[in-house]
Amino acid sequence: MSASNLHGLVAYYADVDSLLAAVRRVREAGYQRFDAHSPFPVHGIDPVMGIRPTVLPWLVLGAGLTGCAGALLMQWWTNGHDYAFLISGKPLFGLPAAIPVTFELIILLSAFMTFFGMLALNTLPLLSNPLLRTAGFGRVTADRFAISIEAADACFESHATRELLAGTGALSVEACESDESSAVVPKWIKQLTMIGAAIALIPPALIAMERYGTRTTPRIHVITDMDFQSKAKAQSASLLFEDGRAMRRPVEGTLAVGEWIEDEYRATGKVAGQLGTGFPYEIDRAVMERGRQRFDIYCGVCHGLDGLGRGPIAVRAESLEESAWVPPTNLHDERLLTVPEGHLFEVITNGVRNMPAYAAQLSVDDRWAVVAYLRALQRSRNASIEDVPTDQQRNFK
Amino acid sequence: MSAHHHVSAPERTRVTPSGLAGRGRLATLFGAALCVLAVVLGFVQEEGMARLQHGWLLAVTFFVTLGLGGLFFVLVQYLVRAGWSVVVRRLAEHLAGSLPLMGLLLLPVVIPTLFGNGQLYHWADPHELAESHLLQEKAPYLNGWFLLVRVAIYVGVWTLLVRAFNRRSLAQDDTGDPSMTIWMQKRAAPSVLAFALTLTFFAFDMLMSLSYEWFSTIFGVYVFAGSAVALFATLVLLALRFEGRGELRGIVTTEHYHDLGKLLFAFVFFWGYIAFSQFMLIWYGDIPEETVWFQQRWVGSWKYVSLLLLFGHFLLPFVGLLSRHVKRNRSLLASWAVLLLLMHLVDLYWLIMPTLSPEGASIGLIDFACLSGVGGLFLGGLWRRIDGKPLVPLRDPRLGESLAFQNL
Repeated sequence: MSASNLHGLVAYYADVDSLLAAVRRVREAGYQRFDAHSPFPVHGIDPVMGIRPTVLPWLVLGAGLTGCAGALLMQWWTNGHDYAFLISGKPLFGLPAAIPVTFELIILLSAFMTFFGMLALNTLPLLSNPLLRTAGFGRVTADRFAISIEAADACFESHATRELLAGTGALSVEACESDESSAVVPKWIKQLTMIGAAIALIPPALIAMERYGTRTTPRIHVITDMDFQSKAKAQSASLLFEDGRAMRRPVEGTLAVGEWIEDEYRATGKVAGQLGTGFPYEIDRAVMERGRQRFDIYCGVCHGLDGLGRGPIAVRAESLEESAWVPPTNLHDERLLTVPEGHLFEVITNGVRNMPAYAAQLSVDDRWAVVAYLRALQRSRNASIEDVPTDQQRNFK
Repeated sequence: MSAHHHVSAPERTRVTPSGLAGRGRLATLFGAALCVLAVVLGFVQEEGMARLQHGWLLAVTFFVTLGLGGLFFVLVQYLVRAGWSVVVRRLAEHLAGSLPLMGLLLLPVVIPTLFGNGQLYHWADPHELAESHLLQEKAPYLNGWFLLVRVAIYVGVWTLLVRAFNRRSLAQDDTGDPSMTIWMQKRAAPSVLAFALTLTFFAFDMLMSLSYEWFSTIFGVYVFAGSAVALFATLVLLALRFEGRGELRGIVTTEHYHDLGKLLFAFVFFWGYIAFSQFMLIWYGDIPEETVWFQQRWVGSWKYVSLLLLFGHFLLPFVGLLSRHVKRNRSLLASWAVLLLLMHLVDLYWLIMPTLSPEGASIGLIDFACLSGVGGLFLGGLWRRIDGKPLVPLRDPRLGESLAFQNL
């Protein structure tokens, strides 16, 4: 055996006490790269071997604190900041609700750090160690104690080290040869890995094709997200209720909050059953602006923003030559200039001819605002220079 | 496990404390006198009777939970066949030994309910019963006579368990009969079951029923967690006391304090975990009949008591006891033990007293008289039980393992 392929020397002992004594001697002789082996943990061997307390607890503490901060930050960011979403009246970021996730993440990261940190600090997994090829080493897992000194140690000198170990009461001293076999990963393992990786890509590729490709049949829903929901849509049937309708009527004799308006004219546009004139509340600039906005949204599409009855829908219907199409009314029609305001309100509320009711889209006061804006719109086409404020008049000359 | 660590069994005379009986009698006399003083103050002071009952309940439950903690420790050591703990188990046995007397001291708060006195338990008040439909529904359970029967069962079970286990443990000192240990190991599992049930219903009956409209199924576990914290704190302090006197010197070592510290730390966290579990579900559910209990403990200065518990009973000791070095340092560990024992008292105070003074925390002379009175009786009994008996189970089959115990 040449010195070049010598990994180290192993000395065997019968009991813990002689092992500890030998470790003490080896360390006093100045060796650094040596290890003690025993079938069970030996109390107090760490200080004898000069092993410093591990840094692992600090790493685990750091991982735990990272988990704590990360979990709190994540929950604050997602629920309280980026996508603020009120859940059953709780604060957007409520600490009690955030604690369970925080707790679990602290535990998770700490456990990972403990486990993987322990492996890393011990340079594990170690697939092969030359000591395992030594004849007597197997008994270390049963009833033998051993010290191994690496040949790479600065103090190592084949003969002298063997003398030292023999002098510590060792049962025997054995040479341990280096593992000369190649450390290169065999080709077939590499090839098998590549083939395996390629095969593993097939299922996700198939899923992606099904999910995002063009198809004539319904898609396969691998992850359904919210594609299917057990909910009833408006105007649909439902077996849940006795009347078979998904939409519910208000409970008899009740009103939704804000629906009760004491003033009959304001609520219906009528006074004692007759259409009334004027507005039930004061019209100011804010009401007029609101009216313009609602008019442009709900009325303009048919009647046109100018009220002449040539909104985009009307234009489109004419271009398609729809036979059943009833053109929208020109709001500047002579008849509409003189009808009472209550009539306009009533038409918006309940609809007329082909025009649908807008009570569901426009609140009571919004409807009055639209009426007010309509009145202003009508007046704008029959205005004289006196209607323009004096300081603005010169703009029109 | 460690063959290089040889420890021989201690001599009987060295580990047997003497001269404690006299001190015990003194403590009993002192305690009895203070109990009388508390009752006198209760009669003299304005609304003193209500405070006397609350203060008495606080004092008795504090020491009952210490005893229950001791019983739990003893049972669990046999249940898991623990080796390390043998040298401190006798201390826990003596603590559990206080249960018969302390259980008897519950009578002064149970008996008034028989006569319709609702100053402590509002459900016992006939007017309350007449007006509250909820209470009428609960009356088959919440009534004075049934409470008396239940408390008798709890204390009866505890007394039986304490006698069965303590007697055999003491007898083994003379006989060295390992069949005693085997007998107790066999009975430990059903005993723990009986212990858990009695403790849970004791907590429901004596503490939770103070707010009879409120309920929390985890309440028993919460009280148990607090009891365990108090027990380990007390064990640390008692072990230090007798290490100082000499009986346990060289027997209870840093290794045992380290383990007691670990358990103390674990149960500090367990207490926080349970307390938070109780709080969070109620906070999240947000149902008035459940939240009212926490609302009462957030009114006025009760808020600060709640926060004191959060920090003093959980967060600070958690951080403080986290390190191995703290658990292996006797004086640091003792400081945390003292704090946690105090916090257990605050915890019970926080459970009991809001029904007496809902507007804010208040302490009266009667509270101190009750606490030191019952405390005197407790200590008196404890010293007399300890006196003249070996403080270490001399011939326990696992004593050697415990003496040689080392943490990895």
